[in-house]
Amino acid sequence: MSSNIKVVTRHGNSLKDKLYLPAIYDGVKVTFKHLFDNVTDMNAIDTLEYPEEQPTDITSRYRGLHRLTHRADDTIACVACFMCATACPSNCIFIEAVDREDGVDEKMPKSFFIDTLECVFCGYCVEACPCDAIRMDTGIFSLTGNSREDFVMGKEQLLSHKGAFGEEVSCART
Amino acid sequence: MSEMIEIIVDDKTYRAEEGSLLIDLLIREEIKVPYFCYHESLGADGNCRMCMVEIAGQKRPQIACDTLVKSGMEVNSKSTKIEKVHTDILELELINHPVDCPTCDQAGECSLQDLYMDYGLHDAKVTIVDKVKHDKKVDLGSNVMLDQERCVLCARCTRFTDKITHTHELGIIGRGDEAKVSTMPGRKLDNPYAMNVVDLCPVGALTSKDFRFHQRVWFLQSAESICHGCAKGCNIYIDHNKMKYQDDVIYRFRPRRNDAVNGFYICDEGRLSYKELETNRLESMLYDGVVVDEHEAIAQYKSLLTQYQGRVSVVIDANLYSEEIEAIVAYAERIGAKVFAPLECYNDPSFADDMLKSAQRAANYGAIVKMGLETNMPSDAGLIINFNHPTHFNAEAEIHFSTHKQESNALLLPMAAFSENSGSLINEVGLEQWCEKAVEKNSPAPTVLSWLEKVEG
Repeated sequence: MSSNIKVVTRHGNSLKDKLYLPAIYDGVKVTFKHLFDNVTDMNAIDTLEYPEEQPTDITSRYRGLHRLTHRADDTIACVACFMCATACPSNCIFIEAVDREDGVDEKMPKSFFIDTLECVFCGYCVEACPCDAIRMDTGIFSLTGNSREDFVMGKEQLLSHKGAFGEEVSCART
Repeated sequence: MSEMIEIIVDDKTYRAEEGSLLIDLLIREEIKVPYFCYHESLGADGNCRMCMVEIAGQKRPQIACDTLVKSGMEVNSKSTKIEKVHTDILELELINHPVDCPTCDQAGECSLQDLYMDYGLHDAKVTIVDKVKHDKKVDLGSNVMLDQERCVLCARCTRFTDKITHTHELGIIGRGDEAKVSTMPGRKLDNPYAMNVVDLCPVGALTSKDFRFHQRVWFLQSAESICHGCAKGCNIYIDHNKMKYQDDVIYRFRPRRNDAVNGFYICDEGRLSYKELETNRLESMLYDGVVVDEHEAIAQYKSLLTQYQGRVSVVIDANLYSEEIEAIVAYAERIGAKVFAPLECYNDPSFADDMLKSAQRAANYGAIVKMGLETNMPSDAGLIINFNHPTHFNAEAEIHFSTHKQESNALLLPMAAFSENSGSLINEVGLEQWCEKAVEKNSPAPTVLSWLEKVEG
């Protein structure tokens, strides 16, 4: 065990560190550099005028609003195994399972709700899913509604969300 | 009884009966040994080959389930060689096993899953496409569903119908890859203990149609209780769960091993009797068919009691816990009422058999007999205070403490069912057993004891 421990010397004990003033000078230098840049070129300011301006840097790894994926034959990929609900740290996934009658699989969710107000967008559900049935690649980062119920996403709504990064169909079960 | 001898397992000495099965000793002493096909009530079959151990003097590893204990035997259950044997046999079992744990109800209580984590952890050498395909959804009858792909051919289910129920409905047909569990053409699994095969099945091949897809097993909490179907007193687990924002609900009853009472099994009727605890429950206090609040109900109770002073009879259901019955008897004494516990209505000879079913269909039958309560019907009563007794009595007025709804104009007071309370029961042969409280409802009905406190307070 001890072979894995790396002893790191504590910083901040030099005279320069103890004086504080050099560090304060470094900070103030950055502040004044930005002030100078922003005053000389107003268009280069690093803030977005949201919502008129939308972010352009959302990548495929961004954890946006959830969606339920489809299989290649356009049926629901979810088999209601409850892995996401089990992994969920805020217990905000509510599933009711039912016998699947369309011959594709044995089991499917009768209802599938995610309470996005309780959700912490940790992505554990996506990690846990054995069927690649739940994803957070919609790129949707803003959610508005008039009542608490508006934020509880049902199965149909989750299925209607589209993936924003090309991978539309569930990648499980080749 | 045969002689006790000493044998050595993993360098430790144990005492065992000569000629008993080695696997029994290993299970009893909690020495880790993997197995599918062996079951204490069904005996050795030796078909799964998982329980291999090394025995000194024997060339090859031997199966513990079919090895008889001999004096001076030296057994080795842990070695790299034995681990390798376990891993290889498990891999053989898993060759054609479908990877459908997400849809399988057994997931979470599956021997294959557990043993894979202990001995397997290998990558599959056969792709999903190449696995042998069988029927995945066969309705065997008696609430049992069969998935032939998941079966490991341990033959526990077929041995159960052969050795325990003697009904011989199930068999393994075909050979090699074609081998599968099936019933005779045109026949169904049909016996009053059929659903025990679901518990016996070590994998997800046999699942209960009643429990299927209702809940994943790892969410369930188990409470130790006693079946209330008859006076046998079969030990059960009550598996229940309270999902977020919902009420505490019972999902299934499972048999709990007790060699003195029921062994490993319970009857299907007892197993499915949990449904009665969930449906048609009396939830509010009613008087003359109208909902009343607790204050009004108790006022009404007291005025009825004063009105019929001296002509009050108390009737006790033989399913109540002994502690409750004692409290009711003491209460009746205080208010000067006569106590009756009519037993006639519980007698149902058509229900009885020579296995686990008793003709006395009340869980605490033994306590009523032991306490020597009056078991005739109450006669000439002005007021009857009925503690959940199923019979309808003729009286001028009636107060009914009841778990379930009923057509009555009497004062109806909801009370907790056995799953919502703890207490002891005495079965038909006089064995006293304890029931744990299982369910905590969001708005619990008062227990008998709290009702007595309320009406006397």
